[in-house]
Amino acid sequence: MLATQLKYDLIMFSRELFYVIFTLAVPPLSYLFLGQLFGGQLYAGNLNYAQVYTPAFILLITFTVIFFAFGFDQVAHRTTGVEKRIQLTPVSKSILLLSGIIRSLIITSFGYVLIYAIGITVYSLEFEPGSALRSYAVFIIFNAVLLLIASAVYSFFMNDKSALIFSIVIFQVVMLTGGFAMPVDRMPEIVQTIAALNPLYHMNKIFTAVWNSQLQFESGVFISIGYLIFLTVGSLIVLKSKGNRKY
Amino acid sequence: MNIIQVSDLSKAYGENEVLKGLDFQARAGEVIGVIGKNGAGKSTFLEILMTIKHYDGGAVKVFGKDLASLSATDLEQLRRQISVVLQPTQFYKTLKVGELLQLFKKYYGSEADIEKVMVDFKLEPHRKKYFDKLSGGWKQIVSLAIAFLSKPKLLILDEPTTGLDPHMRNLLWQYIKDYNARTGGTVILTTHNMDEVELYCDKVLLIDEGTDAIFGTTEQLLRSGYRSINEFYLAKVTA
Repeated sequence: MLATQLKYDLIMFSRELFYVIFTLAVPPLSYLFLGQLFGGQLYAGNLNYAQVYTPAFILLITFTVIFFAFGFDQVAHRTTGVEKRIQLTPVSKSILLLSGIIRSLIITSFGYVLIYAIGITVYSLEFEPGSALRSYAVFIIFNAVLLLIASAVYSFFMNDKSALIFSIVIFQVVMLTGGFAMPVDRMPEIVQTIAALNPLYHMNKIFTAVWNSQLQFESGVFISIGYLIFLTVGSLIVLKSKGNRKY
Repeated sequence: MNIIQVSDLSKAYGENEVLKGLDFQARAGEVIGVIGKNGAGKSTFLEILMTIKHYDGGAVKVFGKDLASLSATDLEQLRRQISVVLQPTQFYKTLKVGELLQLFKKYYGSEADIEKVMVDFKLEPHRKKYFDKLSGGWKQIVSLAIAFLSKPKLLILDEPTTGLDPHMRNLLWQYIKDYNARTGGTVILTTHNMDEVELYCDKVLLIDEGTDAIFGTTEQLLRSGYRSINEFYLAKVTA
């Protein structure tokens, strides 16, 4: 059953032009476009563009896939009655959830490989198996955290139009305050304050450090990890309370 | 044998009491029409029978099992014997008709021959159409075809003929009656079309003010001095 559901979940994703453009086209194109603008610059830690923005855009794809194709999709199914119709079949909720999670992992892993390949081809990024493996492990953990946060956030939406507007707005906010457009420390103070609340900003900091083998457990990293744990626990509480709610 | 036994059923949404002590029984092989005004609680009642809506008070037994005492796994098992057509009908919009039938066949663990289902429900010309692109009538037919995939013992239909033209409505009823005659399955449906109730239903449940205002056979109602079920409805239910 799981294999069948996953097959159709992937087919449905591939047929949603909106998802495909926002998840698999916009991030790589932005990566290439920003590379044309800032490709020659050096960043904190003496890192070049590819070393900073390759992990960043892998994370951005992860965010878009999980928030659009997983979170928003849940709202769309809930508000149009598809969820209710599926609930009336004997298929277990855990199979449906697991299929959605595996689908997200497959697509985000594809994004990982895609951005990495562009980095190697266009920006001469080096491939180091040990670093790639460590980074992939952190990437999977961040996938799990984002899946929980997305499920919790979108569980509040009862209307797919408002969820769509939220998704588009949050994409812009994440892009600006997550360090995906330009380093946050070069932005106005208000943006830096907002960035501190953006989980993608914290993930990006940690992921870039792991990617470049520069992770040091100092206070900034502990704050980021603590904040992500706080959001994860908060999301679990929200999902638990929603799950217990009667119709 | 009663396959559904409902006693003193109550359900409220906040302050709004929708069902206030409803009693109901259905036997194997019966076709029962549930009628009442918009907002009378018909859909809520059906969704409770479908096992997807909790209720506040009373007892509901489906196939002899008390719904309130069943675990999630037990409910999944029970749903293998129930099929539904919802109003409005919604499925994954980016799947094609053939793909939807295959997926739901898997959901129900059915051994139905999809090619035969396609032929039976005249769906062959629509096999490669996306569900979202079908007309309302064909969506209902697809929904019914999916409902029959599992060879259900209980078929619950929420306003299945709303928005259908007379030919489509006729076709849909043919399938329902054929299913009922062939398998002895029970059919419970809501409708605003009193002619359908008169023509096809063995029994009628009128829900008014959240209670079972009238529950009897169609024949009994007609014998009680009404020329039609429509006349009965207009006499019993105020606008």
